[in-house]
Amino acid sequence: MTDDTRLSALRQKFGRPPAAPDEPATKAATATEAATEAATARTRQPRFEGLVSGHRACQGCGEALAARLVMEASGPDVMVANATGCLEVFTTPWPQSAWRVPWIHSLFENAPAVASGMEAAMKAKGRNTKVLAFGGDGGTYDIGFQALSGMLERYHNILYICYDNEAYMNTGVQRSSSTPHAAATTTSPAGKDRMGKRHLKKDLLSIIAAHHIPYAASASVAFPQDLQRKVRYAMGIEGPTFIVVHSPCPLGWKHASALTIEVARRAVECGLFPLVELERGSLSNIMPIRHLRPVTDYLQLQGRFSHLFDKDDPRAERERDHLQALADYNIAAFGLAGEGGDDAADTGGHAAVGRGGPIAGRV
Amino acid sequence: MAVLTRGAYADAGTSLDFKTGNWRSTDMPAHVHAAAPCHAACPAGEDQQAWFALLQQHDPKGAWCELVSANPLPAITGRVCPHPCETACNRAALEGALAIHNVERWLGDQAVAQGWAYPVAPPAVDAPVVAIVGAGPAGLSAAYHCLRQGLRAEIFEALPEAGGLLRSGIPATRLPRDVLDAELARLLALPGITLNLRARLGRDVTLEGLRASHAAVLLGPGCQEGKEWSVRGAVPTDLHEGLALLRKFMDVGAFPPGDRVVVHGGGNTAMDLCRLMKRAGAAQVTLVTASGLPGPDTDPSDRINVVPRELEEALEEGIEIIPHASINRLIMKGSKVTGVEIVSLRKFTGKDGHSERVSFGGTERVLPVDLVIPCVGERVSPEGLEAVIQGGYLAPEDIWGRLPQDGVFAVGDARGDRGTVAQAIGDGRRAAMAAAAMIAGTGAPPLAERPTIPASALNPVYYPPSRRTLVPVLPVAERGFETEIEGDIGTAAAMAEAARCLSCGNCLACDNCWTFCPDNAVIKTAELARDGSHYVFDLDYCKGCGLCAQECPTGYIQMLPETL
Ligand SMILES: Cc1cc2nc3c(=O)[nH]c(=O)nc-3n(C[C@H](O)[C@H](O)[C@H](O)COP(=O)(O)OP(=O)(O)OC[C@H]3O[C@@H](n4cnc5c(N)ncnc54)[C@H](O)[C@@H]3O)c2cc1C
Ligand SMILES: Cc1ncc(C[n+]2csc(CCOP(=O)(O)OP(=O)(O)O)c2C)c(N)n1
Ligand code: SF4
Ligand code: SF4
Ligand code: SF4
Ligand SMILES: [Mg+2]
Repeated sequence: MTDDTRLSALRQKFGRPPAAPDEPATKAATATEAATEAATARTRQPRFEGLVSGHRACQGCGEALAARLVMEASGPDVMVANATGCLEVFTTPWPQSAWRVPWIHSLFENAPAVASGMEAAMKAKGRNTKVLAFGGDGGTYDIGFQALSGMLERYHNILYICYDNEAYMNTGVQRSSSTPHAAATTTSPAGKDRMGKRHLKKDLLSIIAAHHIPYAASASVAFPQDLQRKVRYAMGIEGPTFIVVHSPCPLGWKHASALTIEVARRAVECGLFPLVELERGSLSNIMPIRHLRPVTDYLQLQGRFSHLFDKDDPRAERERDHLQALADYNIAAFGLAGEGGDDAADTGGHAAVGRGGPIAGRV
Repeated sequence: MAVLTRGAYADAGTSLDFKTGNWRSTDMPAHVHAAAPCHAACPAGEDQQAWFALLQQHDPKGAWCELVSANPLPAITGRVCPHPCETACNRAALEGALAIHNVERWLGDQAVAQGWAYPVAPPAVDAPVVAIVGAGPAGLSAAYHCLRQGLRAEIFEALPEAGGLLRSGIPATRLPRDVLDAELARLLALPGITLNLRARLGRDVTLEGLRASHAAVLLGPGCQEGKEWSVRGAVPTDLHEGLALLRKFMDVGAFPPGDRVVVHGGGNTAMDLCRLMKRAGAAQVTLVTASGLPGPDTDPSDRINVVPRELEEALEEGIEIIPHASINRLIMKGSKVTGVEIVSLRKFTGKDGHSERVSFGGTERVLPVDLVIPCVGERVSPEGLEAVIQGGYLAPEDIWGRLPQDGVFAVGDARGDRGTVAQAIGDGRRAAMAAAAMIAGTGAPPLAERPTIPASALNPVYYPPSRRTLVPVLPVAERGFETEIEGDIGTAAAMAEAARCLSCGNCLACDNCWTFCPDNAVIKTAELARDGSHYVFDLDYCKGCGLCAQECPTGYIQMLPETL
């Protein structure tokens, strides 16, 4: 298909002329004004945007959002080693890049090793620039795990962020060791033989914490203030730190793109994705769950769990109960049920807002 | 020194060159300012959301100015309005409605105490003059809104003082006279308003005369005449009509003797009378009303038509209420009444929309009484209004109050379909707007109807839990005839209460859309945003995921079909 026929096909489909990548936008008067206003204002946003627009992430991508939130809290004096995966692919379609900091694409399996080298180089040059390493759950829980363990053991001054979308999304939704129990992926399909993935989600955070590193935490895109507090805390630590960020993938989890935050929030509120912090291997903080909700509230939003709601399949109820039991286990193990204090600096357990922005952190 | 990239700018060669906006399929996000339910429910036309927003910005004076752009008498309505806004408030679905009337009252009192100037400019010396009959809330509001329309207002009031029923009907325990006087004096002092006291339509001026001398005539005479009341033809010789009795009590401070009193009716007059008589010493006061008491299942049209907290306080004070009942028969000894026969009934609405009362045989019972007081409503006194009166009321054609006579408008209770101060104030505003439009020759002013946003359209997870402020109330034993019963909310609690407002349908400047958009397609135009004007969508990059609309707490973002 030539560009012209593709464009006219799109026009037919969407009933309006989509601008080609290099085409200057032709818009109606008011829209032009809006675009001009946005374009000028874009250069003076009251935050550091280390990851800019125009990236090719899917609509409602949790990973794209998580990465921007991380950059905002860590930049601008950082550089990034990024493992192969969606984040790497959608931010850097040659010859463009969405990154506004020095950024190196490693292999799928060796971002921690590349980051270690970058950190050593910075040290040799006497620079304080903090090195970040990014990987997906495949790149972290699975193929890059050995390199990560080495990076932690060698005690590099690196903040490693794992964007956990619970499968190999970039290659078309294959299960990883982070895929939750009973979730359907292309390599753990739900059907006659099994109800999605047979195995459990790996408890990576405990393994990381067992390296006795200064700081390891879990965070979620649904709680951006909490996520950014954790990033800032880790940035202040000299030594290896690790944060895993729960980042829904509308395509792979099969939910509406508008529901990314709602899905992530429910994962936390049902106990399946506990938000915890571990320092030197010991639990130092948790985000209390103020309103516990059943796991079904979380599961039913996602097509990857739809087989668990098959009324004619007796295994469905058992698997739902299994997931509820896993959530209950987390809630008991970390003591998640509770109110939390009302300290304004405490981001724990809520994402409350007021006029002028989030309430957490206001003095 | 290394030069670092600061802020969100990017040069050619970055992904900003690639406009992902063409990925949107059918819908795009748009800012939609829907009406908050409090605003939609307010008969005076206030936008509570708007003035709460200013209070949230610590601007009480700005909040008051916004409030009085619709209702010039907040110290008064904050005390006497049955606040349908609170009944409608979306926060009722969370921990309880906003204490709107308490904050409104506080703002009104602040304005008086601080001398804040009304946001009106003096009209031109040669501006057209509108004649207004009656200085009750309807007439006063009409005069004020004439000024806001650039007109002058000349009021003709029969009595020696302005205020209408605010002065002659509503007891001081609910509306202290110093509060009333202070707020009215400030309004009446506005340049452009002339008040003629002891000037009665029909005696001192005529409708035709006013039509000839003024650019328009707004009639707000209220309802001054009690309706006749008799039970199957029996009229006791010592019959006292409710409103007349109340007015007399306001003047002389005494009621006719009687230990056991039955009041018949279901409005504010009946309720005030019950409470005052009880306080004046009657041993047993019973209200017989055809309406029902408020309850979860009560149909709003069946609910007794009084200020909700007045009802609560009356019950506290020991007033007995017999709902869904009527007086069937008077038991007389000579020409004096000694008992009433009561029967249960219900109102039913027929297919034609007319309601019909059906009494249930076999439910009759007799109450011994010393005094029966009918409070079954009033109608317009026809004096001077013979040409416009119809079936006891002025009954205008539309919400603007237009009467068949050119340039004559009816406002307030006199319309026959009103009955509260806030409605009277709303009427005054609309009639002034319609009169101004007529004088300018532009027809009826446009009706700005916005859809109302329901609680289900909000995303409540972002609102921190917060309970409604309770204000102090005078204990029953201390309630008399002067001291105000409901207390002041106070500055700190008023500000805290304002912070509870969910900002329904209008941007809260919470930054959620800015924070959550995975494509940075929400742009802030101010470092610290205050309202929706500080966010724009960059449709060049918006992929149309709908996340911002989903996570907007206030429903201000909606996904609408593409318009480009
Ligand atoms: C006892 C009682 C308690 C009430 N409590 C409440 C309450 O708590 N909350 C609430 O919202 N509402 C309450 N109401 C109802 C409320 O007072 C009225 O709805 C409101 O006052 C109507 O305003 P208005 O301006 O139309 O009429 P009015 O207040 O009756 O004013 C009419 C004015 O016109 C003057 N006038 C009449 N005829 C002429 C004439 N021919 N020439 C010149 N001037 C004339 C009168 O003297 C009067 O000043 C109560 C009413 C009563 C009787
Ligand atoms: C050694 C190697 N094996 C396989 C691949 C193909 N590959 C590229 S990305 C990817 C999956 C990435 O999954 P994950 O790390 O979870 O990141 P996501 O795309 O889900 O964000 C795979 C298998 C590769 N690039 N290198
Ligand atoms: S929460 Fe605020 S805006 Fe919403 S209905 Fe109540 S007072 Fe009005
Ligand atoms: S969140 Fe961003 S990309 Fe999604 S609809 Fe809103 S503005 Fe568009
Ligand atoms: S999300 Fe917040 S800032 Fe954005 S439009 Fe809604 S209320 Fe305003
Ligand atoms: Mg993945």
